[in-house]
Amino acid sequence: MKKIVVILGLMLVLSPLFSGGRQETSPAVTDADGHAWMEGPFVHGLPGVNPLKVRGNIITAGSSTVYPLSERMAERFKEEGYNGTITIDSIGSGAGFERFTVAGETDIANASRPIKDSEIEAARTIGRLPIEFRVGTDALAVTVSKENTFLQNVTIAELSKIFGSATRWSDVNPSWPNQPIQRFIPGTDSGTFDYFAEEVFDKRVEPMLSATNLQLSEDDNILVQGIKGSPYAIGFFGYAYYAENADELNILSIEGVEASAEHVDDGTYPLARPLFIYSDATIMQEKPQVAAFINFYLSHVDEEVVGVGYFPANEAAMDRGRAAWLEAMQL
Amino acid sequence: MNNMHTFLRFGDASERAHHIDKRRRSGLVWHALFISATALAVLFLMLLLVSVIDSVFGYAALQNEVEPSQLIPGARSVSDFSRDELESVAEKHLSAGILRRVQYENPLSERSDADLTRLIEQYIVKPRVLRTWGLWDSLVNKDVSLAFVEANEQSYLVFRNWLSPAFLVADQSADPLKAGIRTAFLGSLWIILITFLVAFPIGVGAAIYLEEYALDTRLNRMLQLNIFNLSAVPSIIYGLLGLALFVRALEPLTSGAIFSGVVDNTANGRTILSGGLTLGLLVLPIIIINTQEALKAVPDTLRMSAYGVGATQWQTIWYHVLPASVDRILTGTILALSRALGETAPLVVIGASTFISVDPSNIFSKFTTLPIQIYQWSARPQGAYRNIAAAAIVALLILLLVMNSTAITIRNRLARKKRLAS
Amino acid sequence: MAHIARKSSFSISLIPKIVLFLCALISIVITVGIAFILIRESYLFFSDPEVTLKGFFTGKQWQPMIGRFGFLPLLNATLTTSIIAMSLGIPVGLAVAVYLSEYASEKTRGILKPVLEVLAGIPTIVYGYFALTFMTPLLRNIFGDDVVEIYNTASAGLVIGILVLPMIATMAEDAIGSVPKELRLAAYALGGTKLETTVKVVIPAALSGLSATFLLALSRAVGETMVVALAAGAGPNLTANPFEAAETITGYIVRISGGDVSYNSVDYNSIFALGLVLFAITFALNLISRTVSNRFHQEYE
Repeated sequence: MKKIVVILGLMLVLSPLFSGGRQETSPAVTDADGHAWMEGPFVHGLPGVNPLKVRGNIITAGSSTVYPLSERMAERFKEEGYNGTITIDSIGSGAGFERFTVAGETDIANASRPIKDSEIEAARTIGRLPIEFRVGTDALAVTVSKENTFLQNVTIAELSKIFGSATRWSDVNPSWPNQPIQRFIPGTDSGTFDYFAEEVFDKRVEPMLSATNLQLSEDDNILVQGIKGSPYAIGFFGYAYYAENADELNILSIEGVEASAEHVDDGTYPLARPLFIYSDATIMQEKPQVAAFINFYLSHVDEEVVGVGYFPANEAAMDRGRAAWLEAMQL
Repeated sequence: MNNMHTFLRFGDASERAHHIDKRRRSGLVWHALFISATALAVLFLMLLLVSVIDSVFGYAALQNEVEPSQLIPGARSVSDFSRDELESVAEKHLSAGILRRVQYENPLSERSDADLTRLIEQYIVKPRVLRTWGLWDSLVNKDVSLAFVEANEQSYLVFRNWLSPAFLVADQSADPLKAGIRTAFLGSLWIILITFLVAFPIGVGAAIYLEEYALDTRLNRMLQLNIFNLSAVPSIIYGLLGLALFVRALEPLTSGAIFSGVVDNTANGRTILSGGLTLGLLVLPIIIINTQEALKAVPDTLRMSAYGVGATQWQTIWYHVLPASVDRILTGTILALSRALGETAPLVVIGASTFISVDPSNIFSKFTTLPIQIYQWSARPQGAYRNIAAAAIVALLILLLVMNSTAITIRNRLARKKRLAS
Repeated sequence: MAHIARKSSFSISLIPKIVLFLCALISIVITVGIAFILIRESYLFFSDPEVTLKGFFTGKQWQPMIGRFGFLPLLNATLTTSIIAMSLGIPVGLAVAVYLSEYASEKTRGILKPVLEVLAGIPTIVYGYFALTFMTPLLRNIFGDDVVEIYNTASAGLVIGILVLPMIATMAEDAIGSVPKELRLAAYALGGTKLETTVKVVIPAALSGLSATFLLALSRAVGETMVVALAAGAGPNLTANPFEAAETITGYIVRISGGDVSYNSVDYNSIFALGLVLFAITFALNLISRTVSNRFHQEYE
């Protein structure tokens, strides 16, 4: 009997050992030490960040499109010395805003669409004023399997039938096969979904959601997997997920325009959309590590964005974000 | 009389013999069927394990972002660099931010050759996975891999063991070459600890009550039935319960907000505490039922002798019944905990995190667990993720094996002591 | 037996009893908690003006975002995977059980029983991985890429069958093993072969235990989540074709809660309504299973 007690006691005592590895070094530090991480040359007009001197945790959540980009920036932040916790949850822009504006759980919301007025209102009720930071541009990739031989280009009108009322490919264009269309689209919490509904269906969600043969997921990987599986499958998601799987998927050109850096830049690609992160001035001041991370993000995202699979936002938009940062930090 | 009966029903001797033969033959056929069914079951297990292990080893076609020969002309790999070359390449090519951190932790000149090699490979050369193959393919269809490497310039083959020690201690990462299960593993351990602390005392306590104290009343029979039903409820229902109760309703408690002086955290109930409590509820019925069985197995004579010398009921239980059944109780508990270790659905419903960069530091931390990590990696279409998902699965299975073996060893050890003592 | 113990003074000896009774009560609290939460959130779900009970049980489309609340597609997928699972698990499991209890030597049993235990202990996520990476490609190889979609209920169903196989085999073996030896001996004495004894005497005698086993296995298959989450599909689909993708009740719950629902939205409430249905189905199956096994258990005591 005593032996059991001893064993249990040992387990309790030894449990902190399980907390090995890297850990948070100390809780958030405010004011006096708050800006100790600012050092080094200015980058794009923002004070340099030394991640070695950033302390505390950062909580972010939101768009699955922005996720790979934020993940890369977080990894780089860590590589350069940040020793705290960053959590990034890939749950969809809508859910990310929910956590940011209603529950107040997150410090940063990742979004592949601009914040809605209703969401700004909700944030106001919990004392937050969202600040928008543009971080990149996505060329929404409408993709089909490599085995699809009949589709290289679509018009917006055809898209609205393919993802809406049509049941078979031949319904949209008689020269296409007489096979049911298998659809893989992001879930309703996703900013990508909202954006597509806005561009192709004039903001109506019903046609997309009442389509036959429909699979929805917030996890774009599931969509990629599904589209790979059949020549009659089609879906859409952020460009990075296409880039990661370029050897198994084909991207369609929209209205004759290919998704490329120059077409995104000059605005001719119809489905180019901005990527954002949102935060709030109070959070940035109370949790200087959040400010540091956003600074780091805005300073270096142009170096990483292409590697992740997206496109840089134009300088003007980036500068607006940087100015907003300086204003929020009252610098 | 009897003879005629037999004759009429079964015909003459030769027909009877024929009939018996037929019966025997069909018996053999079915015997063969039963054996093949069993063989099928064993085959399924083999298939499962083999398909997992097949993905743990194999060739990977890699491509470097920067070739070693571009850094030092003529060098084929970083391990060819001399000491001076290592240092100068690192200093010249590491990005400013990374160099700053690297120098801060340990100046370049003081680092070992192996360390510098690792740094250069990780941050400058940056290999990327193009394609992977399983163990079988790598051994048998090697020419396919070779052809692929031929077709893709600058790519090269390495034979990779995805379940390497590096894999076990590395962080989560987007890059399958760098990703590891440490964070998930620690998350799992933390949660199991909480599960144990919750379910063990309450479970054993409830079982003691039901076996030792409870009279056969309607209430107690209902309690018993209720526990049986709970043990068969799908695990996802416990997830829903946990979501509504621990994550939402008890949020101030589970997020650590009421301890906010001690803990730095924001209001969010998706913590280890919530996960542990939920799984605790899940395994509670199992522990209760198992402990009851263990207590039932203790012969009544033991109790009677204790009462006979004047012990109270509680003294009998604490000093005699429990020690006699502790081996089975512990074994059953460990088995229940190993079931909890493999649970995925309830924790997904509660909201384990997608990307966590640092290990859990206390029970109010966000978390991810090994099964959830496997789930996320399995869902990714790129081939390399299959490999690390398989590696993580093997790690999980080994962990479970260790737990189960511990349970059996404890049972044998304590049972032997019991036998020796009596 | 409990009340033979010496009763000492009031306070001391009652404390353990009360504490332990409270421990046991927690199990009731859990059940009540589950029922309460499921019912309350379901009530919120059904009180939404767009949702009607009739629509829920008879509607053929499930898409809460646009007001379609018919849960038949989800139920249909759940049933498809469960039936496929049972078609694999019951025959093979029963055969294994018969072999183990009637035919196998001690040595074989000594090897096979641990094998079954190992299979039983493997976490369901591993089966999910297996379904996606092995079973689906296998089915696509056999039946063709254009017949079998990459997400489909057949693959999930077959793997769930493998998953419940050890459970069926073990429990069925217990049931068959508990049939008294006398029955078998009597059959042999009358000249029956081993097969005839087993099929015509032993199995009918164990029928109650076997039925209980099958019902419990069905309940397990219905409640299975990770295998369908990885392999069956991510969109509700009312179809009889098991090679098509279709989302089950459990798959939907996991997908929505993984995507993080806003509290008090119709999506959030819907997962609880579905949870209630799931709980009801598995509870009914478990209850019937216990009743069946109890009723006949007494016959051979």
